[in-house]
Amino acid sequence: MAKKVHEDQRYLVALLNNEVALVNEIYKKCAGKVKSFVLFNNGSADDAADIFQEALVDIYNQAKYKNLQLTCPFEPFLLLVCKRKWLNELKKRSISPVTKNEDDLLHIGEDTFEQAEALELQKEQASLFLKAFEQLGERCKEIISWSMKGEAQEKVAETLGVTYGYLRKKKSECMASLVKLIDRKND
Amino acid sequence: MTEDKILWTAQYVEGDLNEEERLAFENLLSHDEELKQHLADYYDIHSSLQMELANDSNRNTLVETIKTLNKEHFVAEQPKVVKFNPYLRWVSGVAAVLVLGMLIWEPWRSNLYKDFNVVPQMTVAERGAEKTDLDNAAGLFNEQKYAEAKVVLAKLHAADAQNAMISYYYGVALMETTEVAKGRLLLEELFNGQSVYKYDAVYAIAMSYLKEDKKTDCKFWLEKIPKDASRYEQAQNLLRKL
Repeated sequence: MAKKVHEDQRYLVALLNNEVALVNEIYKKCAGKVKSFVLFNNGSADDAADIFQEALVDIYNQAKYKNLQLTCPFEPFLLLVCKRKWLNELKKRSISPVTKNEDDLLHIGEDTFEQAEALELQKEQASLFLKAFEQLGERCKEIISWSMKGEAQEKVAETLGVTYGYLRKKKSECMASLVKLIDRKND
Repeated sequence: MTEDKILWTAQYVEGDLNEEERLAFENLLSHDEELKQHLADYYDIHSSLQMELANDSNRNTLVETIKTLNKEHFVAEQPKVVKFNPYLRWVSGVAAVLVLGMLIWEPWRSNLYKDFNVVPQMTVAERGAEKTDLDNAAGLFNEQKYAEAKVVLAKLHAADAQNAMISYYYGVALMETTEVAKGRLLLEELFNGQSVYKYDAVYAIAMSYLKEDKKTDCKFWLEKIPKDASRYEQAQNLLRKL
């Protein structure tokens, strides 16, 4: 059952295309709220800015690489993502937060919770994949990281001094070892 | 076999299969659930890794935009600068001298605590003819016999440490007698919790510091009281005077 994409998907598109006016609108709507939440919970304005930036980049990443489709309104989604990030940060600094997780969020829809959770989960997953990637042999790491940079694969082959055919063969082998490495960890 | 399927999937996605092999893969894919899962996993891992490793110029531009907007929207609070016309400048000069004089004279200083300390009244729901310890405690507390109230409240608190109402009044009673530190500790616990006494506790802690003329500590606590708390107005008034 596919859920309907929310009209606020346009904010994601704005992030993808760096539409400054619309990104600024996001700030006008949400920055103040994130700031007061962080200030009230033992943080500074700089902390709030860092959290906000990280959240926006995460959302950009998920929209671009994970095809994130927003089925809930953008504002509560972003606020929730920021809150969760800050609470995690407090946990790291081992300060107990003033506001409880679910506090004053009761009016937020289930969709929003699900999407915020999925965002966090996918981010954690990506960093686990990256850790597995780090365990590959040097040659495999080189081939995969070059081919992920976003340039045309023919050009990547040229840079690495191999044929395009060899690159495809080697990349599939390396990626297969990576998948197996990740599978073993999950077992 | 599973591992071969993983390699096969990678070869399929990376275009490392010849025409015949590719068709065989797609044919199997139409009914092999395991292979479908491998393909979905492959795309998932590939895109996640791309997210981490891509040299994404769009993302870099976005980060620049964000950094600029951050400077605009996340500045630490700064006092506003208001420009005066020359006449106002004189008036404000005179006013400033008067204010300075008042600050040295400080006619209100001694009364701040009296003015702002709210003597809490402990209200207990009536439950019948029999007088309970709670009723006794409330009676003593409201007559400001804190030392006696404290004894009863200590007993009640020991029996039910989670009861926020008892904790609050016990904390206040402790602070009103000589056990200020212990009282504060108890009230701080309330502040860390989620009861309705949360900000009353904060206000009471602030008052205990005001009583000792520790203005910085008093301010520190007052500033924790949010706009929607009932003590907010009072706290702000006091903050202005401190």
